[in-house]
Amino acid sequence: MAASTAESEDRNRRLTDLLHATAQGRQAAFQELYRLVSPQLFAVLLRILKRRDLAEEALQDALLSVWRNAASYTAEKGAPMTWLLSICRYRALDSLRRRRREVSLGPILDQAEDGQDALSGLAGETAETNFLSKAEERALEDCMQRLNDGQRRSIRLAYVDGCTHEEIAASLKSPVGTVKSWVRRGLESLKRCLEAA
Amino acid sequence: MKYQGVKLQNLLAGEYVLGLLQGAARRRFERLLMESNSLRAEVSAWENRFAALGLALPSVPPPDYLWWRILGGLRREARPGRSTSGNTFWRAWAVAATLVLAVVLVTQHYVPAPEQKPAAVAMVSDAKGQPLWLISVHPEDKRIDMKAVVPNPPPAGKSYELWMLPQEGNPVPMGLMNDTGTKSEHVTAEQLARLAEAKGLAISVEPPGGSPTGLPTGPVVYIAALVAS
Repeated sequence: MAASTAESEDRNRRLTDLLHATAQGRQAAFQELYRLVSPQLFAVLLRILKRRDLAEEALQDALLSVWRNAASYTAEKGAPMTWLLSICRYRALDSLRRRRREVSLGPILDQAEDGQDALSGLAGETAETNFLSKAEERALEDCMQRLNDGQRRSIRLAYVDGCTHEEIAASLKSPVGTVKSWVRRGLESLKRCLEAA
Repeated sequence: MKYQGVKLQNLLAGEYVLGLLQGAARRRFERLLMESNSLRAEVSAWENRFAALGLALPSVPPPDYLWWRILGGLRREARPGRSTSGNTFWRAWAVAATLVLAVVLVTQHYVPAPEQKPAAVAMVSDAKGQPLWLISVHPEDKRIDMKAVVPNPPPAGKSYELWMLPQEGNPVPMGLMNDTGTKSEHVTAEQLARLAEAKGLAISVEPPGGSPTGLPTGPVVYIAALVAS
Protein backbone atom coordinates (compact mmCIF):
# COMPACT_ATOMS: atom_id res chain seq x y z
CA MET A 1 0.00 0.00 0.00
CA ALA A 2 1.27 3.42 -0.88
CA ALA A 3 1.24 6.21 1.62
CA SER A 4 -1.29 9.01 1.45
CA THR A 5 0.00 12.36 0.29
CA ALA A 6 -0.02 13.70 3.86
CA GLU A 7 1.94 10.69 5.14
CA SER A 8 4.53 11.01 2.44
CA GLU A 9 4.90 14.74 3.16
CA ASP A 10 5.40 13.95 6.86
CA ARG A 11 8.02 11.39 5.97
CA ASN A 12 9.85 13.80 3.68
CA ARG A 13 9.89 16.42 6.43
CA ARG A 14 11.25 13.86 8.88
CA LEU A 15 13.99 12.77 6.46
CA THR A 16 14.90 16.40 5.76
CA ASP A 17 15.17 17.07 9.52
CA LEU A 18 17.43 14.04 9.90
CA LEU A 19 19.61 15.10 6.96
CA HIS A 20 19.88 18.57 8.45
CA ALA A 21 20.94 17.16 11.84
CA THR A 22 23.36 14.81 10.08
CA ALA A 23 24.91 17.79 8.32
CA GLN A 24 25.62 19.20 11.79
CA GLY A 25 27.51 16.03 12.66
CA ARG A 26 24.85 14.50 14.89
CA GLN A 27 25.46 10.80 14.82
CA ALA A 28 22.19 9.79 16.49
CA ALA A 29 20.24 11.51 13.71
CA PHE A 30 22.38 9.79 11.11
CA GLN A 31 21.72 6.42 12.75
CA GLU A 32 17.98 7.08 12.71
CA LEU A 33 18.20 8.10 9.04
CA TYR A 34 20.07 4.88 8.33
CA ARG A 35 17.43 2.85 10.14
CA LEU A 36 14.64 4.42 8.10
CA VAL A 37 16.15 4.36 4.63
CA SER A 38 18.65 1.50 4.51
CA PRO A 39 16.22 -1.39 3.79
CA GLN A 40 14.88 0.34 0.67
CA LEU A 41 18.31 1.46 -0.51
CA PHE A 42 19.77 -1.99 0.10
CA ALA A 43 16.99 -3.54 -2.02
CA VAL A 44 17.88 -1.22 -4.92
CA LEU A 45 21.60 -1.98 -4.60
CA LEU A 46 21.05 -5.74 -4.38
CA ARG A 47 18.92 -5.65 -7.49
CA ILE A 48 21.58 -3.85 -9.48
CA LEU A 49 24.64 -5.61 -8.09
CA LYS A 50 23.15 -9.12 -7.61
CA ARG A 51 25.68 -9.87 -4.87
CA ARG A 52 25.26 -9.15 -1.16
CA ASP A 53 28.91 -8.34 -0.54
CA LEU A 54 28.98 -5.76 -3.33
CA ALA A 55 25.63 -4.30 -2.25
CA GLU A 56 26.90 -3.98 1.34
CA GLU A 57 30.06 -2.27 0.18
CA ALA A 58 28.08 0.13 -2.02
CA LEU A 59 25.65 0.97 0.79
CA GLN A 60 28.53 1.61 3.17
CA ASP A 61 30.28 3.91 0.67
CA ALA A 62 27.06 5.70 -0.22
CA LEU A 63 26.11 6.30 3.42
CA LEU A 64 29.56 7.63 4.30
CA SER A 65 29.18 10.00 1.38
CA VAL A 66 25.78 11.04 2.77
CA TRP A 67 27.41 11.70 6.15
CA ARG A 68 30.02 13.92 4.51
CA ASN A 69 27.68 15.66 2.07
CA ALA A 70 24.39 15.91 3.94
CA ALA A 71 24.73 19.70 3.92
CA SER A 72 24.62 19.75 0.14
CA TYR A 73 21.08 18.38 0.02
CA THR A 74 18.55 20.97 -1.15
CA ALA A 75 14.92 20.61 -2.12
CA GLU A 76 15.69 21.31 -5.78
CA LYS A 77 17.47 17.96 -5.88
CA GLY A 78 14.13 16.30 -5.24
CA ALA A 79 12.64 14.57 -2.22
CA PRO A 80 15.26 13.47 0.33
CA MET A 81 14.71 9.80 -0.48
CA THR A 82 15.19 10.47 -4.18
CA TRP A 83 18.48 12.17 -3.44
CA LEU A 84 19.64 9.25 -1.27
CA LEU A 85 18.49 6.77 -3.88
CA SER A 86 20.48 8.55 -6.60
CA ILE A 87 23.66 8.54 -4.52
CA CYS A 88 23.25 4.79 -4.05
CA ARG A 89 22.42 4.08 -7.69
CA TYR A 90 25.41 5.95 -9.09
CA ARG A 91 27.62 4.14 -6.59
CA ALA A 92 26.18 0.82 -7.70
CA LEU A 93 26.61 1.68 -11.39
CA ASP A 94 30.27 2.54 -10.73
CA SER A 95 30.75 -0.76 -8.98
CA LEU A 96 29.07 -2.56 -11.86
CA ARG A 97 31.33 -0.87 -14.42
CA ARG A 98 34.41 -1.91 -12.47
CA ARG A 99 33.07 -5.43 -12.30
CA ARG A 100 32.23 -5.59 -16.01
CA ARG A 101 35.86 -4.91 -16.74
CA GLU A 102 36.83 -7.87 -14.57
CA VAL A 103 34.31 -10.60 -15.28
CA SER A 104 32.21 -11.81 -18.14
CA LEU A 105 28.69 -10.53 -18.43
CA GLY A 106 26.99 -13.92 -18.40
CA PRO A 107 25.87 -14.15 -14.78
CA ILE A 108 24.65 -10.56 -14.73
CA LEU A 109 22.46 -11.17 -17.76
CA ASP A 110 21.03 -14.45 -16.53
CA GLN A 111 20.02 -12.93 -13.25
CA ALA A 112 18.62 -9.83 -14.87
CA GLU A 113 16.32 -12.01 -16.91
CA ASP A 114 15.29 -14.10 -13.94
CA GLY A 115 14.70 -11.07 -11.84
CA GLN A 116 12.55 -9.34 -14.38
CA ASP A 117 9.33 -11.06 -13.47
CA ALA A 118 9.93 -10.40 -9.81
CA LEU A 119 9.34 -6.73 -10.52
CA SER A 120 5.61 -7.04 -10.71
CA GLY A 121 4.34 -3.66 -11.71
CA LEU A 122 5.23 -0.44 -10.01
CA ALA A 123 2.67 -0.55 -7.25
CA GLY A 124 5.13 -2.03 -4.76
CA GLU A 125 2.54 -4.02 -2.82
CA THR A 126 5.25 -5.71 -0.79
CA ALA A 127 7.26 -2.63 0.10
CA GLU A 128 7.04 -2.09 3.85
CA THR A 129 8.15 1.49 3.87
CA ASN A 130 6.61 3.94 1.49
CA PHE A 131 8.57 6.95 0.45
CA LEU A 132 6.16 8.02 -2.27
CA SER A 133 2.55 9.00 -2.20
CA LYS A 134 0.04 6.93 -4.11
CA ALA A 135 -0.29 9.79 -6.63
CA GLU A 136 3.45 9.87 -7.29
CA GLU A 137 3.60 6.11 -7.73
CA ARG A 138 0.63 6.06 -10.03
CA ALA A 139 1.88 8.90 -12.22
CA LEU A 140 4.93 6.95 -13.35
CA GLU A 141 3.11 3.64 -13.52
CA ASP A 142 0.38 5.06 -15.77
CA CYS A 143 2.91 6.60 -18.11
CA MET A 144 5.07 3.45 -18.19
CA GLN A 145 1.96 1.49 -19.17
CA ARG A 146 1.54 3.70 -22.24
CA LEU A 147 4.95 2.74 -23.61
CA ASN A 148 5.24 -0.19 -25.95
CA ASP A 149 6.61 -3.41 -24.54
CA GLY A 150 10.16 -2.96 -25.85
CA GLN A 151 10.40 0.61 -24.59
CA ARG A 152 9.05 -0.29 -21.15
CA ARG A 153 11.23 -3.34 -20.66
CA SER A 154 14.36 -1.57 -21.92
CA ILE A 155 13.90 1.30 -19.50
CA ARG A 156 13.23 -1.03 -16.58
CA LEU A 157 16.22 -3.22 -17.32
CA ALA A 158 18.41 -0.12 -17.43
CA TYR A 159 17.08 1.64 -14.35
CA VAL A 160 16.26 -1.27 -12.07
CA ASP A 161 18.89 -3.81 -13.12
CA GLY A 162 21.65 -1.48 -14.26
CA CYS A 163 21.88 -3.19 -17.68
CA THR A 164 23.80 -1.66 -20.59
CA HIS A 165 22.32 -1.29 -24.10
CA GLU A 166 24.13 -4.49 -25.08
CA GLU A 167 22.82 -6.44 -22.10
CA ILE A 168 19.28 -5.24 -22.73
CA ALA A 169 19.63 -6.26 -26.37
CA ALA A 170 20.76 -9.75 -25.34
CA SER A 171 18.03 -10.02 -22.74
CA LEU A 172 15.25 -8.93 -25.12
CA LYS A 173 16.83 -10.72 -28.10
CA SER A 174 16.77 -7.55 -30.18
CA PRO A 175 19.45 -5.56 -32.01
CA VAL A 176 21.32 -2.93 -30.01
CA GLY A 177 20.16 -0.21 -32.43
CA THR A 178 16.55 -1.11 -31.75
CA VAL A 179 17.11 -0.98 -28.00
CA LYS A 180 18.73 2.46 -28.30
CA SER A 181 15.75 3.83 -30.16
CA TRP A 182 13.30 2.15 -27.74
CA VAL A 183 15.05 3.93 -24.88
CA ARG A 184 15.04 7.32 -26.60
CA ARG A 185 11.43 7.09 -27.74
CA GLY A 186 10.47 5.77 -24.32
CA LEU A 187 12.17 8.69 -22.59
CA GLU A 188 10.43 11.18 -24.89
CA SER A 189 7.02 9.64 -24.30
CA LEU A 190 7.54 9.42 -20.54
CA LYS A 191 8.54 13.06 -20.28
CA ARG A 192 5.54 14.19 -22.33
CA CYS A 193 3.18 11.97 -20.39
CA LEU A 194 4.48 12.98 -16.94
CA GLU A 195 4.46 16.67 -17.79
CA ALA A 196 0.87 16.43 -19.01
CA ALA A 197 -0.25 14.62 -15.86
CA MET B 1 28.21 14.73 -30.69
CA LYS B 2 26.91 18.21 -30.05
CA TYR B 3 25.31 18.88 -26.73
CA GLN B 4 23.21 21.76 -27.94
CA GLY B 5 19.50 21.55 -28.26
CA VAL B 6 17.02 21.18 -25.45
CA LYS B 7 15.70 17.89 -26.74
CA LEU B 8 19.08 16.24 -27.03
CA GLN B 9 20.10 17.53 -23.62
CA ASN B 10 16.99 16.04 -22.15
CA LEU B 11 17.55 12.66 -23.78
CA LEU B 12 21.16 12.51 -22.68
CA ALA B 13 20.14 13.41 -19.13
CA GLY B 14 17.57 10.61 -19.19
CA GLU B 15 20.12 8.11 -20.49
CA TYR B 16 22.63 9.25 -17.90
CA VAL B 17 20.16 8.65 -15.08
CA LEU B 18 19.30 5.23 -16.51
CA GLY B 19 23.01 4.42 -16.42
CA LEU B 20 23.20 4.02 -20.20
CA LEU B 21 25.91 6.57 -20.99
CA GLN B 22 29.21 4.73 -21.11
CA GLY B 23 32.88 5.52 -21.39
CA ALA B 24 33.89 8.80 -23.01
CA ALA B 25 30.28 9.92 -23.56
CA ARG B 26 29.58 9.58 -19.84
CA ARG B 27 32.75 11.40 -18.85
CA ARG B 28 31.98 14.27 -21.22
CA PHE B 29 28.45 14.44 -19.86
CA GLU B 30 29.69 14.52 -16.26
CA ARG B 31 32.10 17.28 -17.17
CA LEU B 32 29.25 19.31 -18.67
CA LEU B 33 27.15 18.68 -15.58
CA MET B 34 29.71 20.60 -13.55
CA GLU B 35 29.17 23.78 -15.51
CA SER B 36 25.56 23.62 -16.63
CA ASN B 37 22.75 24.37 -14.22
CA SER B 38 20.14 23.51 -16.81
CA LEU B 39 21.68 20.10 -17.43
CA ARG B 40 21.83 19.44 -13.69
CA ALA B 41 18.16 20.35 -13.46
CA GLU B 42 17.36 17.89 -16.26
CA VAL B 43 19.23 15.15 -14.42
CA SER B 44 17.38 15.91 -11.17
CA ALA B 45 14.07 15.85 -13.03
CA TRP B 46 14.81 12.38 -14.43
CA GLU B 47 16.02 11.12 -11.06
CA ASN B 48 12.70 12.23 -9.61
CA ARG B 49 10.65 10.75 -12.43
CA PHE B 50 12.30 7.35 -12.12
CA ALA B 51 12.56 7.18 -8.32
CA ALA B 52 9.27 5.31 -8.13
CA LEU B 53 10.86 2.38 -10.01
CA GLY B 54 13.49 1.94 -7.33
CA LEU B 55 11.24 2.69 -4.38
CA ALA B 56 8.72 0.09 -5.55
CA LEU B 57 11.17 -2.75 -4.89
CA PRO B 58 10.37 -4.73 -1.72
CA SER B 59 12.74 -3.53 0.97
CA VAL B 60 15.56 -5.77 2.19
CA PRO B 61 17.11 -4.94 5.58
CA PRO B 62 20.91 -4.93 5.41
CA PRO B 63 22.76 -7.11 7.94
CA ASP B 64 23.24 -5.63 11.44
CA TYR B 65 27.01 -5.51 11.11
CA LEU B 66 26.81 -3.03 8.24
CA TRP B 67 25.93 -0.19 10.59
CA TRP B 68 29.06 -1.01 12.57
CA ARG B 69 31.21 -0.77 9.52
CA ILE B 70 29.68 2.58 8.63
CA LEU B 71 30.24 3.74 12.20
CA GLY B 72 33.86 2.66 11.92
CA GLY B 73 34.13 4.83 8.81
CA LEU B 74 32.57 7.79 10.63
CA ARG B 75 34.98 7.53 13.51
CA ARG B 76 37.94 7.45 11.20
CA GLU B 77 36.85 10.74 9.74
CA ALA B 78 35.63 12.23 13.02
CA ARG B 79 34.99 15.91 12.79
CA PRO B 80 36.82 18.42 14.93
CA GLY B 81 35.04 20.72 17.33
CA ARG B 82 32.49 18.27 18.60
CA SER B 83 32.35 17.28 22.22
CA THR B 84 30.30 14.47 23.62
CA SER B 85 28.69 15.68 26.77
CA GLY B 86 28.84 13.28 29.65
CA ASN B 87 26.38 11.10 31.37
CA THR B 88 26.75 12.42 34.87
CA PHE B 89 25.69 9.23 36.57
CA TRP B 90 28.58 7.08 35.48
CA ARG B 91 30.98 9.97 35.34
CA ALA B 92 30.38 10.71 39.03
CA TRP B 93 30.76 7.03 39.71
CA ALA B 94 33.97 6.78 37.87
CA VAL B 95 35.48 9.81 39.53
CA ALA B 96 34.50 8.60 42.97
CA ALA B 97 36.07 5.24 42.34
CA THR B 98 39.76 4.74 42.00
CA LEU B 99 39.64 5.43 38.33
CA VAL B 100 41.76 3.92 35.70
CA LEU B 101 41.08 5.28 32.28
CA ALA B 102 42.66 3.40 29.51
CA VAL B 103 41.99 4.28 25.93
CA VAL B 104 44.06 2.00 23.84
CA LEU B 105 43.71 1.74 20.13
CA VAL B 106 44.04 -1.94 19.66
CA THR B 107 46.02 -3.17 16.75
CA GLN B 108 45.15 -6.15 14.68
CA HIS B 109 47.53 -8.59 16.36
CA TYR B 110 45.48 -8.73 19.54
CA VAL B 111 42.58 -10.18 17.61
CA PRO B 112 42.48 -13.97 17.29
CA ALA B 113 43.40 -14.71 13.70
CA PRO B 114 40.78 -17.21 12.49
CA GLU B 115 37.87 -15.21 13.94
CA GLN B 116 35.76 -12.86 11.92
CA LYS B 117 36.96 -9.32 12.51
CA PRO B 118 35.09 -7.72 15.43
CA ALA B 119 33.09 -4.57 14.77
CA ALA B 120 34.52 -2.82 17.81
CA VAL B 121 37.05 -3.49 20.52
CA ALA B 122 37.88 -2.09 23.94
CA MET B 123 41.13 -2.69 25.75
CA VAL B 124 40.80 -2.61 29.52
CA SER B 125 44.14 -1.73 31.12
CA ASP B 126 45.39 -1.01 34.62
CA ALA B 127 46.97 2.25 35.79
CA LYS B 128 50.39 1.20 34.49
CA GLY B 129 49.01 0.47 31.04
CA GLN B 130 49.14 -3.30 31.47
CA PRO B 131 46.32 -4.75 29.32
CA LEU B 132 43.90 -6.81 31.41
CA TRP B 133 41.05 -7.73 29.08
CA LEU B 134 40.38 -7.32 25.40
CA ILE B 135 36.66 -6.95 24.84
CA SER B 136 35.41 -7.38 21.30
CA VAL B 137 31.95 -6.95 19.80
CA HIS B 138 30.74 -9.40 17.14
CA PRO B 139 27.40 -8.18 15.78
CA GLU B 140 27.12 -11.03 13.23
CA ASP B 141 26.98 -13.54 16.08
CA LYS B 142 25.26 -11.23 18.56
CA ARG B 143 28.00 -11.72 21.12
CA ILE B 144 30.78 -9.95 22.92
CA ASP B 145 34.00 -11.70 23.86
CA MET B 146 35.98 -10.90 26.99
CA LYS B 147 39.51 -12.16 26.67
CA ALA B 148 41.61 -12.04 29.82
CA VAL B 149 45.07 -11.00 28.64
CA VAL B 150 46.54 -11.84 32.06
CA PRO B 151 44.89 -13.62 35.01
CA ASN B 152 42.88 -10.97 36.77
CA PRO B 153 40.90 -12.30 39.73
CA PRO B 154 38.52 -9.93 41.53
CA PRO B 155 39.05 -9.03 45.21
CA ALA B 156 38.25 -11.91 47.58
CA GLY B 157 34.52 -12.58 47.87
CA LYS B 158 33.66 -10.21 45.02
CA SER B 159 32.90 -10.36 41.28
CA TYR B 160 33.88 -8.02 38.46
CA GLU B 161 30.86 -6.94 36.45
CA LEU B 162 30.91 -5.37 32.98
CA TRP B 163 28.71 -2.37 32.14
CA MET B 164 27.90 -0.59 28.94
CA LEU B 165 27.84 3.19 29.28
CA PRO B 166 25.13 4.34 26.86
CA GLN B 167 24.78 7.83 25.41
CA GLU B 168 21.74 8.38 27.62
CA GLY B 169 20.65 6.85 30.87
CA ASN B 170 22.13 4.40 33.34
CA PRO B 171 24.85 1.82 32.86
CA VAL B 172 23.54 -1.43 31.38
CA PRO B 173 24.79 -4.72 32.91
CA MET B 174 26.64 -6.87 30.35
CA GLY B 175 27.66 -9.87 32.47
CA LEU B 176 30.39 -10.95 34.86
CA MET B 177 34.03 -10.76 33.88
CA ASN B 178 36.20 -13.86 33.63
CA ASP B 179 39.50 -14.24 35.56
CA THR B 180 41.20 -16.12 32.74
CA GLY B 181 40.62 -17.36 29.23
CA THR B 182 37.93 -15.98 26.91
CA LYS B 183 34.30 -15.67 27.86
CA SER B 184 31.51 -14.97 25.39
CA GLU B 185 28.30 -13.21 26.34
CA HIS B 186 25.19 -13.20 24.19
CA VAL B 187 23.84 -9.73 23.47
CA THR B 188 20.48 -8.78 22.07
CA ALA B 189 19.95 -6.74 18.89
CA GLU B 190 18.80 -3.86 21.08
CA GLN B 191 21.96 -4.03 23.19
CA LEU B 192 24.02 -4.10 19.99
CA ALA B 193 22.29 -0.98 18.73
CA ARG B 194 23.07 0.79 22.01
CA LEU B 195 26.65 -0.52 22.01
CA ALA B 196 27.13 1.06 18.58
CA GLU B 197 26.50 4.42 20.21
CA ALA B 198 27.93 3.68 23.66
CA LYS B 199 30.44 6.01 25.32
CA GLY B 200 32.40 3.06 26.53
CA LEU B 201 32.52 0.14 28.93
CA ALA B 202 33.07 0.06 32.68
CA ILE B 203 33.92 -2.65 35.17
CA SER B 204 32.76 -2.45 38.78
CA VAL B 205 33.38 -4.53 41.89
CA GLU B 206 30.16 -6.27 42.92
CA PRO B 207 28.94 -8.94 45.33
CA PRO B 208 29.48 -12.51 44.07
CA GLY B 209 27.19 -13.11 41.07
CA GLY B 210 26.87 -9.43 40.22
CA SER B 211 24.96 -6.35 41.27
CA PRO B 212 21.64 -7.18 42.94
CA THR B 213 20.09 -3.88 41.76
CA GLY B 214 20.85 -3.79 38.05
CA LEU B 215 23.10 -0.76 38.62
CA PRO B 216 26.70 -0.68 39.84
CA THR B 217 26.79 -0.94 43.65
CA GLY B 218 30.57 -1.10 44.20
CA PRO B 219 33.44 1.02 42.89
CA VAL B 220 33.98 1.32 39.15
CA VAL B 221 37.59 0.26 38.78
CA TYR B 222 38.10 0.30 35.02
CA ILE B 223 36.70 2.24 32.11
CA ALA B 224 37.59 1.67 28.49
CA ALA B 225 36.58 3.31 25.25
CA LEU B 226 34.94 1.18 22.61
CA VAL B 227 36.71 1.69 19.32
CA ALA B 228 35.12 0.70 16.04
CA SER B 229 37.55 -1.48 14.11
